[in-house]
Amino acid sequence: MSDFYIWPDMPGLSVTVLVVGSMIFLYLARTPLHLALDSLNDGIAGGLHKISDWINGLVEKMREKNRKVLLESSIADSEQKIAQEFKKVESSYIKHLADYPKLHLKLDESISKIDEDYKECGQAVPEAPGWNDAVQSIASIKGAASNDRVIEKMLKELHKSAVDGEKQALNELRKTASQRHKVLSSMAPIWKKILKLMGTVETQVTHVIETTRKIDKYMKDYNSVLKGGEDSIDMLGSKATKLFVFSVLVIVVAGFGAFVNFNLIALPMSELVPAGNRVMGMQVSDISALVIVTLEIVLGIFLMEALGITNIFPQVGSMTSSKKKLLLYASLLGLFFLASVEAALAVLREHIAETNAATTQALAGATEATGGAGNSQITVIGQATLGFVLPWILAMVAVPLEMLIESAQHALYKFLILIVLLVGYVIRTIGHIVQMIMKTLIHIYDAYIIVPAKIGEMITGESSVASRKK
Amino acid sequence: MKIKRKLAIFALFGTVFTFSSCSDNKDYETAICALTDISGTYAKEKKNMVKIIKAGIVPKMVPGDTLFLIAIDSNSYNDKNIKAKLTLDYRPSKANDQRLQFAKTLDGFANESSSSKYTDISGAMMLCSGQLKATEAGTQLMFIFSDMKEELKPGIKRSFEKTEFENIDIAAMNVIKLDADSANPEIFRKRIRKWEKRVLDHSAKSWDADLSPTDIPDYIDERK
Repeated sequence: MSDFYIWPDMPGLSVTVLVVGSMIFLYLARTPLHLALDSLNDGIAGGLHKISDWINGLVEKMREKNRKVLLESSIADSEQKIAQEFKKVESSYIKHLADYPKLHLKLDESISKIDEDYKECGQAVPEAPGWNDAVQSIASIKGAASNDRVIEKMLKELHKSAVDGEKQALNELRKTASQRHKVLSSMAPIWKKILKLMGTVETQVTHVIETTRKIDKYMKDYNSVLKGGEDSIDMLGSKATKLFVFSVLVIVVAGFGAFVNFNLIALPMSELVPAGNRVMGMQVSDISALVIVTLEIVLGIFLMEALGITNIFPQVGSMTSSKKKLLLYASLLGLFFLASVEAALAVLREHIAETNAATTQALAGATEATGGAGNSQITVIGQATLGFVLPWILAMVAVPLEMLIESAQHALYKFLILIVLLVGYVIRTIGHIVQMIMKTLIHIYDAYIIVPAKIGEMITGESSVASRKK
Repeated sequence: MKIKRKLAIFALFGTVFTFSSCSDNKDYETAICALTDISGTYAKEKKNMVKIIKAGIVPKMVPGDTLFLIAIDSNSYNDKNIKAKLTLDYRPSKANDQRLQFAKTLDGFANESSSSKYTDISGAMMLCSGQLKATEAGTQLMFIFSDMKEELKPGIKRSFEKTEFENIDIAAMNVIKLDADSANPEIFRKRIRKWEKRVLDHSAKSWDADLSPTDIPDYIDERK
């Protein structure tokens, strides 16, 4: 500091001269210096504001793009669902309507049979049951008590004939009634058959109605998405976010499953695959175990595609059903093979672990092995089961994977928008701070030259603020 | 056509990258040397040393690791002093068989009645250093089972090169105290400090003299 003193032996005077000199200089240079500070302010704060505005524009563009992505993916999803339902309807119609003529024929046959039976019932008319009255009437004729033997004999004969006739008529009636019962009882299974057929018709009609309702719902969704209103965008956005969160959760859990699976087969793989080399720091045997786990996931994806549960590969979706079946069986066979291999490896792992333990004990000088054989059997069975089951569980990862792929784009956009918005806010805030600092600097500057400014005002009679504004 | 060409270039780069990133296992392997003093008063510790090697070092070895057993006698810088060598196979089942076989060799060594008058620790260390370097293993460890009192036979000269113990971790194990050490601990401490300075001056990675047999597994894990 003393280097700047004009008179080093008089610091007070030197400082006073420096302050007064700087005041006069700054007063005289106030206009260009104010202009320079204003320009600096405009340059920095204005530039930052412009960057912030550009970021806001960028955010809007990203939002618009996200909106389009959401709409397009949702439209594609709705179209796919509708197409699937139509396919179901088509296959259902082909299947059931193909059966309908047969069904109709069966119904016709049954109804004709009932009609015939009914007619047969009508044809077998029983004899009129009037014999009883006739017999009674003959028996009550007074001629029976007239002592005329001829009349008495004749009446007796008549009575006898009447009784016989009655018996015969009764027999006929019973016979006819029995025949009618037989006919009626033979109609019962036909009725049951008709009832069953009608039940089948009802099930099929209900199925078709359900499918139609589904199509109706999808069409409504499709229309609302096509309109692209804010509500539908919000709804789609929240749906995609939910889907993303859940799929990430499931994928993380599946990742742990894959880790367990990998550890189960990594050790025994070193027994099968030469582990003398490494790729990117990993033993070849470890890579082989990793390949097996990855293959299980890949086969699971193809299995789900062939079953129509996922639609990651459109080519698989558009395959003929016979080719799909082929893919399904191939995936199932592959998975079964890998699951069996894993179960075998899990058994081998336990064997290696036991041998390792026994060797360590032997090296430590133990004379007897510890641990029961029964325990070991349970471990082997448990590991083998785990080895067989885990591939099938991992195969199901295809479903959340598809969900993740579908929703990741939206989630990524949302995250990017958040980051860009944050950067925009930070830049705008920095711009404001710079503006305030510049203003404060100008005020401090004015305060520093207040004495010469006031003297100048008194001499010229003009305000320094007014002169600056000029 | 353009896409096919791009795919071909991508596949080519992928293959080149994969093969270029193929590395030798040597960097991940561990080579261990156990120097066992069979001279003077320390000769009676033979069985104890073998026990420590069998229970502490051999079980910690993983497939690909190598172990040398070198005897410290009057003239240790001799290939005949390499009493046993074990390189574990990458197949776990084979490795276990090798461990058991090596344990038998160690037992045979423990039962030998050989003893020497002089103690050439430096010669054994130089022999061990050469063997460890030859393995090119990523981790190289030297365990010295001795009282660390060197007595060279007249006419034998030992001087280390500057990089004699480069990349080697050295630990003095089971260092028993001699009668003179018990009488004056400073003699023992001075001797150990001298060894520490000597090995560190010749590029040793680290030096430990207070390891107990139970610390060996952790010591190996830390160095790997």
